[in-house]
Amino acid sequence: MSEAFIYDAVRTPRGRGKANGSLHAIKPVDLLAGLLRGLAQRNQLDTSAVEDVSIGCVTQTSEQGACIARTAVILAGYDEDVPGVTLNRFCGSGLEAVNGAAAKVAAGYADLTIGGGVESMSRVAMGSDGGALFDPQMAFDYGIVPQGISADLIATIYGFTRDDVDAFALRSQKRAADAIERRAFERGILPVKDVAGVTVLARDELPRPDTTKEGLGSLKASFEAMGTQFGLDALTKQRYPQVENIRHVHTAGNSSGIVDGAAAVLVGSREAGAKAGLKPRARIRAAVSISAEPVIMLTGPVPASQKALAKAGMKASDIDLFEVNEAFAVVPLFFAQQMNVDPDRINVNGGAIALGHPLGATGAMLLGTVLDELEARNLATGLVTLCIGGGMGIATIIERV
Amino acid sequence: MNAQGFSAQLDAATGVATITMAMPGRANKVNADFGAGLQDALATALGFQGLKGIVIASAHADFCVGADLDFVYKQRDAKALEEMVGQMNLLYRKLETYGVPVVAALTGSALGGGYELALACHHRIALDEPRVQLGLPEVSLGVIPGAGGTQRLPRLIGIQASLELIAQGKILRAAQAKKAGLVDALAATPEALREAALAWIAANPKAKQPWDVGGFQWPGGVQPNTDMARQLFMAGAAMLAQKTAGAYKAPEVAVRAVHDGSLVDFETALKVESALFAERVVSDDAKDMIRTFWYHRTAVEKQKGLPQTDDAGIRKIGILGAGMMGAGIAFVSAQRGYEVVLKDVKQASLDAAAEHCKKQVAEKAKHLSPAEKEALLGRIRTTLDVQDLQGCDLVIEAVFENKELKHRVTRETEPLLAADGVWASNTSALPITDLAEASAHKENFIGLHFFSPVEAMPLVEVIVGRATSEKTLARALAYVRSIKKTAIVVNDGYGFYTTRLFSAYIMEAAQLVAQGHDPVLVEWAARKAGMVISPLKVFDEVTLSLAAHGFEMMEHYKGEKLDAPGVRLVRKMVEAGRTGKAAGAGFYDYQTKPRKLWTGLRELAEGTPAETGVAYIERRLMLAQALEAARCLDEGILREKRDAEIGAIMGVGFAPNTGGPLAWIDRRGAAQVVAWADAFATTEGARFAAPKLLRDMAARGETFFEQV
Repeated sequence: MSEAFIYDAVRTPRGRGKANGSLHAIKPVDLLAGLLRGLAQRNQLDTSAVEDVSIGCVTQTSEQGACIARTAVILAGYDEDVPGVTLNRFCGSGLEAVNGAAAKVAAGYADLTIGGGVESMSRVAMGSDGGALFDPQMAFDYGIVPQGISADLIATIYGFTRDDVDAFALRSQKRAADAIERRAFERGILPVKDVAGVTVLARDELPRPDTTKEGLGSLKASFEAMGTQFGLDALTKQRYPQVENIRHVHTAGNSSGIVDGAAAVLVGSREAGAKAGLKPRARIRAAVSISAEPVIMLTGPVPASQKALAKAGMKASDIDLFEVNEAFAVVPLFFAQQMNVDPDRINVNGGAIALGHPLGATGAMLLGTVLDELEARNLATGLVTLCIGGGMGIATIIERV
Repeated sequence: MNAQGFSAQLDAATGVATITMAMPGRANKVNADFGAGLQDALATALGFQGLKGIVIASAHADFCVGADLDFVYKQRDAKALEEMVGQMNLLYRKLETYGVPVVAALTGSALGGGYELALACHHRIALDEPRVQLGLPEVSLGVIPGAGGTQRLPRLIGIQASLELIAQGKILRAAQAKKAGLVDALAATPEALREAALAWIAANPKAKQPWDVGGFQWPGGVQPNTDMARQLFMAGAAMLAQKTAGAYKAPEVAVRAVHDGSLVDFETALKVESALFAERVVSDDAKDMIRTFWYHRTAVEKQKGLPQTDDAGIRKIGILGAGMMGAGIAFVSAQRGYEVVLKDVKQASLDAAAEHCKKQVAEKAKHLSPAEKEALLGRIRTTLDVQDLQGCDLVIEAVFENKELKHRVTRETEPLLAADGVWASNTSALPITDLAEASAHKENFIGLHFFSPVEAMPLVEVIVGRATSEKTLARALAYVRSIKKTAIVVNDGYGFYTTRLFSAYIMEAAQLVAQGHDPVLVEWAARKAGMVISPLKVFDEVTLSLAAHGFEMMEHYKGEKLDAPGVRLVRKMVEAGRTGKAAGAGFYDYQTKPRKLWTGLRELAEGTPAETGVAYIERRLMLAQALEAARCLDEGILREKRDAEIGAIMGVGFAPNTGGPLAWIDRRGAAQVVAWADAFATTEGARFAAPKLLRDMAARGETFFEQV
């Protein structure tokens, strides 16, 4: 089996996922097409060499329906031979797309591929694609609850207080602000331009560098009413009978932000890169997806990372930098606790609490973020992991070359 | 009239055919005959020249109060069931899509399958009388509607409104039903109802069901398969699960039927319902619930096999003790026209009781006129003077649970009774035979064990003492029937039946906590098993001091010292002032909101259990009660097996989904239950000793009830 290398990783800046967000006027297909065009341009890519474009997108309905990957490839002006596929592994979609692309390369089924993701949460609302995950049958038979309840359940069981999650959120904001200040994201970001070529957004616009502990502390727990008045907490009793009451600690301030954005990663074999005149930036050491218990839902990064490390023959201590998606503050806190990893090696440039979490794109974005930071610090290994709806988890380990 | 009792007659003047349902017996029941009879009558009606419309009416007092439960109970063949309801659905589709307006003339109640027929009509007019009830109560028997009810009602009144009615099995009186949209119009008399039906037919010659009109929009503001609908179903499902702890399948399946059916066209929706209906009907829990809530309950309510009397000769009732119990008994008696004298030794108690009755009138007798309300309250007289009890036909003694005190009031008051007056003690545990020692007329002495709050609790446990006469029993039963309560009749013995069962439940919970099992798991395991109230919560409500008092009485009657860890725990807590909810501290702390189990319980625990977990705890809690019920039968305390089930569920909140403690044993098999009992008896002691009756049953492979 041959190895898969990352030749480049780009993303759009993340726009506030609301009607007043800078990217709201841009169609999701244009976000993705613009990024694919930019990736090809900056690598002077002969796009006919690209064998597939695999894109993660969670809410595949309305303008994100009908295989947005294929549509974006056409709009990006890629060679007519290039196909596109859209996949959904919830919040792990973007990384899943890259992992799948890399797997094809490693298996020898393809030589040069693109994996990535897109989500315009301001235009296609989260959950608007329906589905059976939360329907009455699932609620009764499995006690499936919305993620916010699961996040609060983790905090309750593993002893994270409101102060803990707020302190983490504050740190995420500070780290993101510092990273933006020192232009840490510059290399990976391709600004979004409108049809006239005018730049619409060049920097992440969600962070609130002026966030304070007091401000965070004053926010209302987002899932308390849902959990107690509408009975959703009680659904978790079947699986977690020992929990008398769930402590609701997550708020809009310590959970991931709703944003618009896209990401793309160019993956290929050593030979394909050489042929295209590209220099590999990193190799993929391991890429796994796992499933854990679906009611608590968000614990997946731990077993996923353990499995990835085992596959790579590594230990957590062999990893220089971690990116653990901040779906909720408790997720990286739980990760650090269970994996016994120094928090200073996790999300060094902040995360989705400050920067936002464009569902289908985040996994691919984090891969670029960790790669840029490894290069900036001249470190070698990075691990990216995300918790995933329905109890799943995903992890990818890269190593600079 | 055809062989099934259905007829179709044309009124030539209006062109309206009336299909009259007059099935043999006293009621129309949905079964195979019903389907065949209706089909035949409909064919006749549709053949009439110049047919303009159809009125469906009943010749019986009720329109139709549902399925033939004899049929439903026995049915274990899902395929046959699906075919049967499939035929019914075809018939109803024909009725509603043939092209003539159809009106349901609801001159009496239309429930379950009966209301489903009404739903398949284009228009429903009900007689505006309180006796006329409407709704889909199927879930209370462990099943769901099977002839389109879960599909037509949501399309008629909206998803949210229908979910509340179907998943809770709510029954509405005609006036409420009109407000909720279950019926379209009310009529004051049967004649006016018929006039209204004819007028509606004349005005709506092309009537169609809303769901058969193109561009149909669901009422209630929520369209299926939208974010709003998904949120509504998520919250609806969660709120239901919060209430039922997953122990009751029928309401869950009902919600699923409404949800899954809302995603597809009407014909497909009927198939979705049919499959879910069949799954429910053939299930074990439906069998257990139908047996108890239909067969046992009917027998108990009819007081089958018990001495009857046409006239109990009871007009004036004296009640001793004006606590919660006395006040409640006074109110329900006055409500049914009895003249009540409520006697206490403290004016404050009497004042509180009077206040309680006033509040009850305001809350529970809204339908009465001001004069009627005044008359009701006027029938309750409070007094400090025992002489006011002169001439009572029945005295119900509800004073503190103390034999000497009870003896004293008996000696003091009994002479005031009318000739042949009945003396009833509302004791919850003290043997009636012992209490009757103070009586000069032991044959007239009986136990009437009410449950608190009296207004809400449907059960009265009637205790027959050694000397109690059949006549006294008959008179007591007539009284219980007259106040619309359900009576079980048991023989005498400390704790009778229900108190023993209830004690077994809450003391097993205390024992588990004392042994170091997680109290959170104890509470959950009980709810998961279907127990109506979790044991530590209800323990706090009845108070730990009452239980501690009970220990002393038990020691007296059983002649042995009680010293199990659970007993020690309760005594320690009482000493520490943690006596329950009223004290603000018991097994729970009531200072915080929501209330939380007291963290100190873990420190009071004696050791750590070798085995624990929800399944283990659930088995112990349920087995302790089931064995106690079997013992009561073995010892002859219980006279009828049906009373074990009804008394447990209606008296002390035993898991209704199981059908009762004996059904719980049957479902698991006596042999299995004995094996569990033997295993627990070695670690837990004699309270898990299986009675001989159960061992014999296990050996012979018998069940308490015939299985279907």
